[in-house]
Amino acid sequence: MQPGLIRIIAKQEIKTILRERVSWILYLILVGISVVAVYTGWSYVKQFNKQQVAAKNEVTKHWMNQPERHPHRVAHYGYLVFREKSPLSFFDYGLDSYVGNSVFLEAHRQNTVNMSEAGFSNGMLRFGELSMAMVLQMLVPLFIIFIGFHTVAGLKQSGVLKILLCQRASYFDILIGKTVGLTLVAWLLFLPLILLSLLFGIGASVGELTSDIFLRSLLVLLTYAAYLFVISVFVTGISAISKSAGNALISLVLFWILFCVVIPKSAQTLGNRLFTAPDKIAFESAIEDAISKEGDSHNPDDPHFAQLKASTLRKYGVDSISQLPVNYGALVMQEGENISSGIFSTHFDQLINTYKSQNRVSSLLSLIDPYLGIRNISMNLSGTDFETFTEFQKQTEKYRFDKTKKINEIHLTQIRFKNDRDQKVSSKNWQEQADFRFQPVSVQTNLLNSLLSLGALLFWIVAGVGALKYISSKQEYQL
Amino acid sequence: MLEAKKLTKIYGDYVALNDLDLSVKAGEIFALLGQNGAGKTTTINLFLGFLKPSSGEAYINGISVADYPQEIKNHLAYIPETVLLYPNLTGRENLEYFSALAGFDYNKQQLGELLASAGLQHQAFDQRLAGYSKGMRQKVGIAIAIAKQAKVLLLDEPTSGLDPKASNDFSEIISTLSKNGTAILMATHDIFRAKEVATHIGIMKQGNLQAVVKSSDISANELESLYLRTV
Repeated sequence: MQPGLIRIIAKQEIKTILRERVSWILYLILVGISVVAVYTGWSYVKQFNKQQVAAKNEVTKHWMNQPERHPHRVAHYGYLVFREKSPLSFFDYGLDSYVGNSVFLEAHRQNTVNMSEAGFSNGMLRFGELSMAMVLQMLVPLFIIFIGFHTVAGLKQSGVLKILLCQRASYFDILIGKTVGLTLVAWLLFLPLILLSLLFGIGASVGELTSDIFLRSLLVLLTYAAYLFVISVFVTGISAISKSAGNALISLVLFWILFCVVIPKSAQTLGNRLFTAPDKIAFESAIEDAISKEGDSHNPDDPHFAQLKASTLRKYGVDSISQLPVNYGALVMQEGENISSGIFSTHFDQLINTYKSQNRVSSLLSLIDPYLGIRNISMNLSGTDFETFTEFQKQTEKYRFDKTKKINEIHLTQIRFKNDRDQKVSSKNWQEQADFRFQPVSVQTNLLNSLLSLGALLFWIVAGVGALKYISSKQEYQL
Repeated sequence: MLEAKKLTKIYGDYVALNDLDLSVKAGEIFALLGQNGAGKTTTINLFLGFLKPSSGEAYINGISVADYPQEIKNHLAYIPETVLLYPNLTGRENLEYFSALAGFDYNKQQLGELLASAGLQHQAFDQRLAGYSKGMRQKVGIAIAIAKQAKVLLLDEPTSGLDPKASNDFSEIISTLSKNGTAILMATHDIFRAKEVATHIGIMKQGNLQAVVKSSDISANELESLYLRTV
């Protein structure tokens, strides 16, 4: 490999591409689409957060304005919690539109996350949304295909490759030089666009650049740079093994369809086939069935709680529940809460493991499809990934459990067992409770979850350069 | 110089080149005549290292093409039938690029001189190749070969499609290069141009070099008769 010659070839490649009018026309179209994508993404997130703040204030107001009442009525009154969109969600919508951002919390019931965009859309969402990530993952590769399909095949067809090969550069030098040139054009045109979109989106929605946002943005920039390099290597490689520029273009467009449409859809189907997950109704029914087998926590005399009754009487050294210094009914309810929460967690963890297995199929397939890899990494770094969603569900369940437990403690200590239902406690009891605040997944966790996809991207880089080396060693690809 | 020893290329059952023995010394121009499929381009491609011989050896300045495919590039230049180069670059930019890849760093004036020595008109130097005629592009190809200062020049149908004036200009430049000590191997269909410019002429048929004559020993008419009898 001769770096000096590679530099000359790359420089010439850049000059040639940038002098072609079609390159600029395509670029301007993509810039236009990107501006629309970033603006709509930002305005959607802004509008969403605004509506969410209003809804949250309304929910809090209703919660706080409850009159004096029985604690268990408060527990059943319920509370709606929300997940704010991540600062980079305008860049990559990821799963946000499909998984919802709010949960209604109440005693004894573990509700799943709801109110997703998909649930309120007319079905067009199925075709995907226009985001900056989508432009970079799907449309920019198409741009690289259109500016690069003839990069070697065209030279072969015109006989220029033979003249080039008669200079001092080896075929490998030429292929690497072409790849570097193509990559630099893609970087030159699109990395500043990514940077600008991030700066605009973050500046306009969050207003401050925290170290977490900075790190995520930097990693987004780096991984997309790697992805564009992979695409450039691929385009150069296909162009080098094609007899003519036309053949190269057809092959590359077919690969684009395969990578961006066929494999992702197949990955989803394959994942579902290999690891079947229950639907929402089946999941909730299974939990309800399991809980019903554990008795009725609203009935202190339910035989399922006989052991609790015996141990409580023993603990306080009394003969009957009416002699207890605490409200036995509240104890049963808390026990029921412990049981139902445990059952929910078990079922939920099983469900999440099934989903993770399905996602692993997609991550593994990124070894044959770089688009799947970058899609996964981008979602993770933007905080719109599956882990963020499950973390929200887990945190809300923990919050629901703690909140219910506190209310049960009020019930336990401030409400007497006799004439339980006729008593009330001060509203201060629940007004002093801490509000829910979602703690997003750390960037380290996101990176850990992207390891397979990051590895796949690295594999594509190494395998791509290896493939160019192999192609360059074959004389049939020179003529 | 250029040398082939029992050079053979076989594709399956088809013998594209059979036991070619050939030598082109410094200052000589060897024209290979023959019909399509006679083995002329195969011979050129074997010397360029684009094809691996089935048997035999090809040498450029005494260096084995098969053993040192990269090394021989320092010693040769090649001009194909149609020189397309980069249409979006000017003649001067094309020459600068190919020269740089050959390891030469010419300044603007030197590049102009090289283009002029190949017969390109001054006003065309900084025009994009997209607007060039075939003859003009061929001249840029010659300039690339001259710039490389190679001692061996391989030409594949270089005058095909050129008008008589451009073809004549081309012959003059080739002759000049030959006089300066370059060994030239040229595949062509043009019997009269071969007679005019070459020092030696070989006639090929079905992969075999059937006849070799000195250009000075034969008239144009005799060469034509020989060619027609041979092919």
